[in-house]
Amino acid sequence: MMIDNILTNIIFLPLVTATLLGLLRSNIFLLKVGAIISSFLTFVLSIVVLYSFDSDGGMQFLKDLSWIQNAGISYVIGVDALSLVLLLLVNFLMPILYIYMYHEQRKGYWYNMMLLQTGVSGAIVSLDLILFYLFWETMLLPIFVMIGKYGNGHRQFNSMKILLMTVLGSMSMLFSILYIGYVHFETFGVWSFYLEDLAKINFQAKTSIILVSGFLLAFAIKIPLLGFHTWMAPAYGSAPTPAVVIMSSIMAKLGIYGIWRFGYGLFETTLNFYAPTIMTLALMGLLYYAIRAITEPNLRRMFAYSSASHLSLIALGIFLTNIYAWSGSLYFVVTHALASSGIFIMIGLTYKRFQSVYIGSLGGIASKAPKFSFFFAFFALSIAGLPGTGGFVGELLIIVGAFKESPVLGFFTATTVLSAMLYIFWMLQRVLFGTANNECEYKDLSYREVIMLSPLVILLLATGIFPSFFMQIFDSQLITLLDLVISNGKGL
Amino acid sequence: MLEQFLNALPMALIIIGAFWMLLLSRSTHFTLDKLNFIAVSFVLLSVLLQFVLFNNESSKFLFEDLFGNTFILDKFSKIFDLMFSIGTILTLLINRDYFKSRTYFNGEYFALLLFSVFGMMMLAHAYELVSLFIALEIASLSIYTLVGYHKTKNISSEAMLKYMILGSLTGAFFVLGIALVYGAVGSTNLVEIRDFIATKDSNELRLLILGMSFMGVSILFKMGAVPLHSWLLDVYHGAPYPITMFMASTFKIAVFAVAIRLLITLVDISNIWMEVLQMITIMTLLGGSWLAISQNYVKRMLAGSSIVHTGYLLIGISSIGLGSELAASSVMFYLIAYFLSAVGAFGILSFIASRSSKQMKFDDFKGFAQHRPYLALAMSIFMLSLAGFPSTIGFLGKFYIFTSAIESKQIFLAALGILTAFISVYYYFKLIAMMYFYESEEIEQKLPLDSSTVLIFVMAFSVVWGGIGTSLIPFVPGADGLIDIARDATKSVG
Repeated sequence: MMIDNILTNIIFLPLVTATLLGLLRSNIFLLKVGAIISSFLTFVLSIVVLYSFDSDGGMQFLKDLSWIQNAGISYVIGVDALSLVLLLLVNFLMPILYIYMYHEQRKGYWYNMMLLQTGVSGAIVSLDLILFYLFWETMLLPIFVMIGKYGNGHRQFNSMKILLMTVLGSMSMLFSILYIGYVHFETFGVWSFYLEDLAKINFQAKTSIILVSGFLLAFAIKIPLLGFHTWMAPAYGSAPTPAVVIMSSIMAKLGIYGIWRFGYGLFETTLNFYAPTIMTLALMGLLYYAIRAITEPNLRRMFAYSSASHLSLIALGIFLTNIYAWSGSLYFVVTHALASSGIFIMIGLTYKRFQSVYIGSLGGIASKAPKFSFFFAFFALSIAGLPGTGGFVGELLIIVGAFKESPVLGFFTATTVLSAMLYIFWMLQRVLFGTANNECEYKDLSYREVIMLSPLVILLLATGIFPSFFMQIFDSQLITLLDLVISNGKGL
Repeated sequence: MLEQFLNALPMALIIIGAFWMLLLSRSTHFTLDKLNFIAVSFVLLSVLLQFVLFNNESSKFLFEDLFGNTFILDKFSKIFDLMFSIGTILTLLINRDYFKSRTYFNGEYFALLLFSVFGMMMLAHAYELVSLFIALEIASLSIYTLVGYHKTKNISSEAMLKYMILGSLTGAFFVLGIALVYGAVGSTNLVEIRDFIATKDSNELRLLILGMSFMGVSILFKMGAVPLHSWLLDVYHGAPYPITMFMASTFKIAVFAVAIRLLITLVDISNIWMEVLQMITIMTLLGGSWLAISQNYVKRMLAGSSIVHTGYLLIGISSIGLGSELAASSVMFYLIAYFLSAVGAFGILSFIASRSSKQMKFDDFKGFAQHRPYLALAMSIFMLSLAGFPSTIGFLGKFYIFTSAIESKQIFLAALGILTAFISVYYYFKLIAMMYFYESEEIEQKLPLDSSTVLIFVMAFSVVWGGIGTSLIPFVPGADGLIDIARDATKSVG
């Protein structure tokens, strides 16, 4: 039972736990225990998926159940290398976040996190467009509530802002989805939203250009690309730490995943039409966000911009259709997620200790709290792409891919590393060193916090030192997909 | 003959109940609660009978040898009958506390409500224009009175006057339309009108088209489509909560039942009106959104948003006119979806209103989730459904409407519909934000488990079930079953 419907269990275990505990009106202790147990169970299950995953096998663990037959909506889930990587990431981060928020006494917080997990993992594995849309919207709700209810600053305003901007994207995506379904109905006489069925359609060039724009708007807002980013800094600034971690490490990456899965899955050739635009936006974003990060006095907002800068790099990577850039992008998705969740958790811990995330009011931590400083510096540096951490490998591969495309592109791409070094080192200097100008007591990391952070450190080091061990999980499938895209793109 | 009486019994029970309530209303023996119970039991009995007779297709028309083809007995009208009677039961039961909390209610209220339901049921069955008009007026007149039920309150009386004068004016258009149609066809029966259209060429149809256009004005007024919407906000605001709920959910459905039936009858020539209708739809969607955004009162926001929902339904209506096969059933599904969500939302408002004298602006909802967590959850579900969030029935409703619009090549309307759905996220989520994102001084209150709260939660559950449910529970149609029923019903019209 557990293994047969393993993906379904991974998706719905948190939701079912939350619903049961909610109906039983459980107290906060039971709720915590339930959430943590469910997160560990899903983690174990996703490891089982990884263990029995065949890295040459294409789409696996397929489950195809009819759901709303009249409209051709079905419950189809499955994993391939792309989604497996993200699924592992979610289920790996969830227990860590639960340990982070262990002292949280507000029940709504825990319920929202469980709902969020269901939404995110559902969006990752669903292969039916309407099902994907359902989960895509579902994961927005908890974020909306968590920012608006448990956030800080102008939380109500900022949560409304992120909601409206993201919904604008999803609505444009919905229009494309409905139209694609109709095109399938027109061509084959039945409604279907299953990705595999839809891939058989030959779209007219003009139609597909409009349809792709619907999807791209949704993903561009989620990533966010330059020009679609106005929600980001306020939302990251207001959101509580677990929500920030999920937003930067999972939801932003889902934008990338969406382009990969639905963009390349349905419209290989049409995407080329948008490639120059998106690559320009990504390049400009890369530099713009880096400059904003340098000037930002608020740590959360600074790393929001830094994370957007790196995501622009990834977005650039997937439009450079060569294998270096692609495997670099996928690799960087994972390692950046690990590093950014690490740094955002550290910022959360900073706030708990010093009641401030402004660089100006911090300083001199290194001499008083060495363990804290070590972890903080480690995560910050792995964001900057310190050799020996996974981020370095990903970034390097994308830059190599860019150079392969054109030296000018390569040059500009390489500036991310440089600018990241700039703002990270300057930030470290001001936050960790210098004179202590804060009256608070300097508490070092407790054992719980060290245990919570060390898996991230270990994984970051491992991905940095043995990249080929991790890449073999997805490389062969990525090459197959890439060949498909390149061979189809020739016709244009 | 006995068979015929049985077919008439569901409607007859309602009208008997109405007169019975009229008699009982002067009696001092009966409290409002008892009268409510009697009214509910009449409607409930009728509902049970409708269920029993649902698949009985022994005769196509009611008392055919007596009335001719005046009242049709098809699946379409039976579904609408069920919706009206269930809507009435919900209105009566959910608002029990509200009736008790206001002194101006008395027994006649129930009689008027039942008369109105009788009118609506007749409306769904009417297959002839004059009886259609009579049915519409029976339903409307009772509602005019109900809107002004709070006699001493100024906005209530204002609302009644506004609604009655404008409503009667457009009612006159309807009569004029019937006269013109009669002048053209020589009959007011839909069967004969259809034959007339099929046999004559377009030159001879002018008078008929003119007549039908006049009737369309009246129907669009009752729907609240935009150039004819000016009454709607004030009337919804001025009416007592139960009446607003009844109008927004049940009466609106009745008007759409007429529209669907007429349009399917006229489908051969319906192309003529489609450009005008599309313009009206665009205005309704945009104007309704504008009105809904700019309101401070939740009730007025819901009124404004009900105009937007009319806009969505009009998209479906014009898809019917353009010959989309799925459109009629998608309009029906949307009506069910809107019915469930609107009844729930207004039910919660009435629940709150029965316990306080607040005016219920958005600000009054600050911290609502803290002292009434369950009701806030239910309200959020209704708001999500009205906004068309996936996993609720409202999403599927929009899904069907928009796909049928795309199917009939109205890409622009589908896109505009999706855009207004995006705008609607703002005003619906504003309420959710008010409920959840602010602290309140009041402590959590215990939720009374009575008919109104239980029904509200049943509605909330069915909103979710209608969005994701499959045929897991026997006899309870899920998302899949409902659209099947709707398709079945619309097939019986043509």
